[in-house]
Amino acid sequence: MRLTRTLLAAAASLFLASSAQAALTPDEAKLYEAAKQEGTLTWYVGAPLEGMQAIAKVFQEKYPGVNIQMMRMVGVAQYQRFMDETGAKKYIADVLQNTDYPSMQSLVDDGHILENKVPTSDRIPPQFRIGNFAYSQYTSTNGIVYNVNKLTPDEVKLLEADWKNVLDPRFKGRFSVSPMKCGVCYAPFHMFMDPKFKDRYGADFIRKIAAQKPAVYSEVLVTLDRVVAGEQDFTISGWEASAATKWIDGAPIRWIFPHPTPIFGNSWLGVSKYAPHPNAAKFFLDWLMSDDGQETMQRVYGSQGTLQGIKDDRPYTKESWYHAPVELYQVDWKRWDADYHKDMDFLAKSLKAEQ
Amino acid sequence: MSARSTSVPSWLLTALVFGVAILPLLFVIDAAFYRETRVGLATDRSWVAVIDVFTGADYLRYLRNALGLAGIVTAVSLVVGVGIALILGRSDIGHKRVWDALITLPLYLSPFAGLMAWIALASPKTGFINTIIDAMAAVFIHEPGSIVDIWTFAGVVFVMTLFFCPLVYLFTVGSLRGMNTALEEAARIGGATPLTTIMRITLPMCLPSIVASALLVFILGAEMYTIPGIIGSNAGFTTLPWRIFEDSTSVPVHRAHAAAAGTLLLLVTVLGVWLQGRATRVSAKFVTLGGKGFNGRPLRLGRWRWAAWGLLASYVLAADILPFGALLMSSLMKFSAGTISAEVLTFKHYLGFFTSEEMQIALLNTVFLAVVTGVICMALGFMISHMALRNPTRLNRALAFLAVLPVAVPGLVYGLGLVWTFLRTPLYGTIWVLLFAYVAKFLPYGVIVSRTGLMQVHPELAESARMCGATARTALAKITAPLVKSTLAAVLFFVMLNAIKELSASVLLYSQDSEVLSVLTWHYMDSGDYQFAAAIGFIQTFIMLAVVFAAQRLFRVRLDRAFGHGGGR
Repeated sequence: MRLTRTLLAAAASLFLASSAQAALTPDEAKLYEAAKQEGTLTWYVGAPLEGMQAIAKVFQEKYPGVNIQMMRMVGVAQYQRFMDETGAKKYIADVLQNTDYPSMQSLVDDGHILENKVPTSDRIPPQFRIGNFAYSQYTSTNGIVYNVNKLTPDEVKLLEADWKNVLDPRFKGRFSVSPMKCGVCYAPFHMFMDPKFKDRYGADFIRKIAAQKPAVYSEVLVTLDRVVAGEQDFTISGWEASAATKWIDGAPIRWIFPHPTPIFGNSWLGVSKYAPHPNAAKFFLDWLMSDDGQETMQRVYGSQGTLQGIKDDRPYTKESWYHAPVELYQVDWKRWDADYHKDMDFLAKSLKAEQ
Repeated sequence: MSARSTSVPSWLLTALVFGVAILPLLFVIDAAFYRETRVGLATDRSWVAVIDVFTGADYLRYLRNALGLAGIVTAVSLVVGVGIALILGRSDIGHKRVWDALITLPLYLSPFAGLMAWIALASPKTGFINTIIDAMAAVFIHEPGSIVDIWTFAGVVFVMTLFFCPLVYLFTVGSLRGMNTALEEAARIGGATPLTTIMRITLPMCLPSIVASALLVFILGAEMYTIPGIIGSNAGFTTLPWRIFEDSTSVPVHRAHAAAAGTLLLLVTVLGVWLQGRATRVSAKFVTLGGKGFNGRPLRLGRWRWAAWGLLASYVLAADILPFGALLMSSLMKFSAGTISAEVLTFKHYLGFFTSEEMQIALLNTVFLAVVTGVICMALGFMISHMALRNPTRLNRALAFLAVLPVAVPGLVYGLGLVWTFLRTPLYGTIWVLLFAYVAKFLPYGVIVSRTGLMQVHPELAESARMCGATARTALAKITAPLVKSTLAAVLFFVMLNAIKELSASVLLYSQDSEVLSVLTWHYMDSGDYQFAAAIGFIQTFIMLAVVFAAQRLFRVRLDRAFGHGGGR
């Protein structure tokens, strides 16, 4: 039985591999050959590990001979390690995936990322790319993640209407927030502090959120975990991809996108200028940003890809409770870079003042 | 051993300790004097970070919080740990070997895994304890509410205490069991009650061991960032190590501030290390050692037997049964849940572990590093302590002091120093850099523990051998080393356990070929996959138990007899 299963799996892999390779253009086939000569690549991963492992696995099954070694380093820690290594001429990373946009922008500005126009670059909107150097793999959309056993349908509707409704007295002490300094944690507060929303949200709104006595967790994923467990009814520090991973496992959670919904390009990919395996790196990045790579990412990781015109077969989008965001708020990277620290400190201080 | 014969090894060892353990510290101190950019350090010098940290109200408050927390945890750990040690070291309670094993079991669990277990157990609405009590109480009370809440300051103290009690216990019970009981007997004959005997004779006699363990717990408590950091945010307080963690990992990075704060902690804890050295030195002056272990009449518990049994059972329940049970439960769940049902249970995490090539490599790396680090720290620690005690030249004493300094710096900051030290060497990116880092980090334990063991062996024994014609090396190998065999085993156990759990340096230095289990656990935790992380944590515990069991068999010693003043027998 086990032998049969192994043989079937091997046959399926072989079929996948041969059909994927048959679809390559002559240039891509040439690059694949060069990648196979190098045999391996090192991917510095910033996104949650399990999803990225699943993506790498699909790639390796389709393109045998190119082995991916992953090392997880998040945000600025990855930037620092890469820069320390580069300074010491220890070139290890081939592909960088950084969740901190300003860090990737710095790497591009300082000439550490290879110019690499992916074949699909014309279909990637400008806000999701840094020239022909770096590309956002997926978007992050912030929303409210809630436990289905803890909120009534009316409460869900109320929260979906506007972020301001978290101030309703009935929600006092029932939700959580994370003042952790990370992109997805900052995005909603970046929007609240936008000068154009000064009257609608602004600093006063953040103070009022704090006055609602939310549970405060230093780790944003603990915030989600506590909603999954039912410890908190909902969190305003939620985003779709992380919630989707738990939902796929069967956790009793759902999510809504209050209006307006912050959205930003996450998971910035680039090939190191000093990549020890440049062909394997380019071939992999081309695939990640291809229709196949983006659809694979959507299927196994759950985030929406940045490549326009791809099929959206994320499983939860077919659910009756799921409503795609309608009023999107694009982050302003310049203000993001300038105010990130100040805004998050203000949030942390406001929360502490009410604890 | 003459001064002449030790001069070459002394210099060699000093050079080694300087290169491996002290250089990273110097890099850390140096980093405090740079201007910061958004993502790291600029090339020009600045005093801003040092001034901010050493004079700023915020950082000093965080330091005060860390020291206050460490003080409370130390006090509670002492009360519980010494209490348990008295019961098991001096009373007539039964099944001591079983209790010994159970009391030391928390050493096999990483504090972070223990924290996750206690979050699952004692969160107010969904903690297993609260849901079970709620279900039972609901029969009588309409809305029973939560009984325990881990997300409080008391919760932090509670979890940290559970992990530090075994250290106090091990140091104290060793001292109690190695103590000559003649004075106690005399006190009893003189009409003193058992309580008076304990308070006036027993505890003062092992006070140096208690002080030494208290200082170790205080230092470790003051530098811990995970438990106070995760729970502290919810409870509304921040400690300096957590601030260092945030400064090192959040944008904008405050590397110079982190380094300056690490230096501040270094200064505070150097004082602690120095005091600990004093305490162990003083202990030699007035602890009377029989050389045959505890040979007096055990204290009869009488009607206090049940109270003693209750204390031991409560500790074992809180430190072993509940957290290990919760960790096992979590590792079998698809996601966190307050109630357990068939829908949430799965074996996929264990299947994933044992079928993943990455996990198997990490497993092998972990065991290899633990064993080799243990052996090296045991040998080097013994040599350094031996030279400092038997040939206390200025160089040898300085060497012993320098070798323990890394214990004083938070692991995360020290890890950065290690990165800067090894980055330009061919070792970077290999498993060997982790080995060097582990040796640097755990050598202090080798020095501290072997020192206490060596102090039990009077130099006259080796001197007698020398007078009979033995060389210094022969006397060391044939007389001194066998007498401290159990202390050396203690170093080996302790270092191996800590090497298996080591995270802060590993996470900064690992490469694609040198991943270890603790790093993988962290990555899954950091990715929000707590259940998979729990499975790895549980497997890690089994490895620790297996490694220690094997080492105990090999050395034919028991862990509890090897620590503190129990060495040498």
